[in-house]
Amino acid sequence: MSELIVRGARKAYGATVALSRGDLHLKPGEVHVLIGSNGSGKSTLCKIVAGSVKPDAGEVLLDGKPVTIDGPRAARALGIGIFYQELSLAARRTVAENILLPAMPVKGGIFVDRTELEERTARIIAEFQDVAGEGFAADVTVDRLRADQRQLVEIMKALATDAPILIFDEPTSALDRAQVDRFFEILRRLKQEGRAMVFISHRMDEIFSIGDRVTVIRDGATVASSAIAETNADEVIRQMVGEREALSAESKPPVPAAAGEPMLSVANLNGAGFRDVSFTVGKGEILGFGGLHGQGQSSVLRAIFGALAHNAGTIEVHGKACAARSPAEAIRNGIAYVSGDRGRDGTLTGRPILENVTPIHFLRNRSHLARPGALATLADGPLKALKTKFQDIGQPVNSLSGGNQQKVVIARWLIDRPAILLLDDPTKGIDLAAKSDLFQLIRSLAAEGMGIALYSSEDAELLANADRILVFNSGVVTRELQGEDRTRYNLYHAAYEAA
Amino acid sequence: MSTDALPSKSGGNAALAFAKKPLVVALILIVLLLAVGEWLSPGFASPGQVLRLLIVAALLGIVAAGQNLVILGGREGIDLSVGGIVSLAAILAGNVMNGADSGILPAILVCIVVGGLFGLINGVGVTLLRIPPLVMTLGMLGVLQGLLVVIRNGIPSGRAAPGLSDFVVKPFLLGLPGIIWLWLLIGLAMAFLLRRTVFGYRVYAIGSNEQAAFMAGVPVKTIRVALFMLSGVFAAIAGMCLLGYSGSSFANVGEQYMLPSIIAVVLGGTPLSGGKGGYTGTMAGAVLLVLLQSILTTVHIDEAGRQMVFGATLVALMLFYGRAKAMRG
Repeated sequence: MSELIVRGARKAYGATVALSRGDLHLKPGEVHVLIGSNGSGKSTLCKIVAGSVKPDAGEVLLDGKPVTIDGPRAARALGIGIFYQELSLAARRTVAENILLPAMPVKGGIFVDRTELEERTARIIAEFQDVAGEGFAADVTVDRLRADQRQLVEIMKALATDAPILIFDEPTSALDRAQVDRFFEILRRLKQEGRAMVFISHRMDEIFSIGDRVTVIRDGATVASSAIAETNADEVIRQMVGEREALSAESKPPVPAAAGEPMLSVANLNGAGFRDVSFTVGKGEILGFGGLHGQGQSSVLRAIFGALAHNAGTIEVHGKACAARSPAEAIRNGIAYVSGDRGRDGTLTGRPILENVTPIHFLRNRSHLARPGALATLADGPLKALKTKFQDIGQPVNSLSGGNQQKVVIARWLIDRPAILLLDDPTKGIDLAAKSDLFQLIRSLAAEGMGIALYSSEDAELLANADRILVFNSGVVTRELQGEDRTRYNLYHAAYEAA
Repeated sequence: MSTDALPSKSGGNAALAFAKKPLVVALILIVLLLAVGEWLSPGFASPGQVLRLLIVAALLGIVAAGQNLVILGGREGIDLSVGGIVSLAAILAGNVMNGADSGILPAILVCIVVGGLFGLINGVGVTLLRIPPLVMTLGMLGVLQGLLVVIRNGIPSGRAAPGLSDFVVKPFLLGLPGIIWLWLLIGLAMAFLLRRTVFGYRVYAIGSNEQAAFMAGVPVKTIRVALFMLSGVFAAIAGMCLLGYSGSSFANVGEQYMLPSIIAVVLGGTPLSGGKGGYTGTMAGAVLLVLLQSILTTVHIDEAGRQMVFGATLVALMLFYGRAKAMRG
């Protein structure tokens, strides 16, 4: 029997406070739901309990005794097992080996006990065998499994620890209905055995079907904890949003006079991670993509940009079909794309600022010769317009701060203006001043007649800047919010309801 | 902790400043090695001797131009097949011209086409088939070596045309042979290509971050294929010049260029990870390497010993630049 209490846990990364006051009271024989929006601190709280993050302050009590959990090993010794949201499987090893990776059965001191390995894993795998689907077996390597099957392996890995306390950080995000049902059956059995479980999920129906208690975290602090039987979905969402902000529509930015003439029309677009997506972006409009992280928003933008394949549907720019098969093709058709993952998709690391600004200009002008002097003059305008801080246009781009690097990446799109600007979480990891500069620019670009699609993982940013918001849930647009409806409450409601 | 860190930090900064200008380092080392050579064996640094060294350096430098381009393009870019292409070009050129000046022009054409073709295959393998450059070009080297055996059937054949030999060894303009002028011309062309053309900007772009370059509309695959083709062409030109230098070709005459062409590039300040550096440094690197080789010969270290020294030099360079990078980060 294990009772776990976390009081006043706090964790800051530099100036960013991930968790300011995390409280959790986990009792034996219960499934305890932890809920909160993107970046509210749920995962940080779990990681503190699992020993992979060291809290700056606060205490953890196990059966009434204060404990220090200074590593995953210590957590395991204390009887705490965890399912990680970021899958942590060894791709080239078999299902069986992965399941027992934390505690390989050993014989003779150094050799893996194959018989023991097979026997123990066979029992765990048998519980899921009929819902796991084709190609799932103990001796298959993990890299040959589908996403849902990998998630099952991760669940089995957590179950195999036999720990009295189990933490599941979004264990069901890739599972289908039958797999979730089977998982819940097992959770109910474990409950009977008196084990304590923390369960994180964004699906309201799941939360109310399996949970016994729910603890709500908002902006890094625990704000409410109640028995599932005594609350309902609306109340939980209200607690996540906060009473004050729940119902007020964000002050609407100056409405563009004519959000008419469609610049970008997408109809019934299908691809990996999204389906049946249709929308239009009007001239001068900022269309927001909202919802939980990774619900297909980014994939849709990348598909339009030609960086990701789509298998059905139409994309039209200015009424002209434009199914780009590569970014180069999309760019020639007047589409621009700014990724939030600068390091991967944006900066030419180690190269001068100038070379980071010029590639789009080269492509759109079909240039062959490069005159550094003339190019520097061209690049200077957009860099200045974005208030980019740098000493010399020849200095390496990675000598700048994150915000200024992103400004350099955006500047490359402004020498030859595109018709459509796709922003894929563009403010990730940049400072507040740079964010405000960016949104000022984006609004003025819209005013000049550009059509803009903006995905942001920060709800406040989206509500403050988008004229309309499409809410994505499991790859589908489930709701469109405009005018007075653009409230945080409505956004959460659409994002968290079962798709 | 701070007292310990201080001296090592200033030492690190000095080393950093040193490492930042590989060209300067290379030039200083060149002068130093010349002095050492002259001290070991008087006459080592005489004008005639230096000119001979420069001719040998030009041969290496031309191969290294292609190697340089492939390495700049990043993604573990490397061309291990250059040696095989040098050998093949030397044999083909020798057979095409067979001692007649009238055959020089056809020989040039054949060499460029064949070099470009093998480079194209390398490029396609690396881009479309996604074979790592190390594996692809090593495999190509094996194929070329086999091909050489088949073509020659073990019997030496083909001779350089007198015009070609004169071009490589006889003074042509201002007392310098044609091959030196050709090398300088290639140096200028490389500088122009890398600094003044969109192609050059794109080479650096794919070398520094291929994914970001792709997202900015850079035709990544086309550029990479072109780099491997250029490498094949440069190696073929060098092979032809090598024929002119030695008069007739012999088996695996080009093999000696594989490792040195890579070392010359790294010595010149282009890291194996690509995305930065240039050809001026590589030229200095080639001269430096030929000097080193010559000194080793002067002190009677045989081919096996020289190879060992070259291998050790490459490892030492990697350590040095690796440390400089770590200190920067």
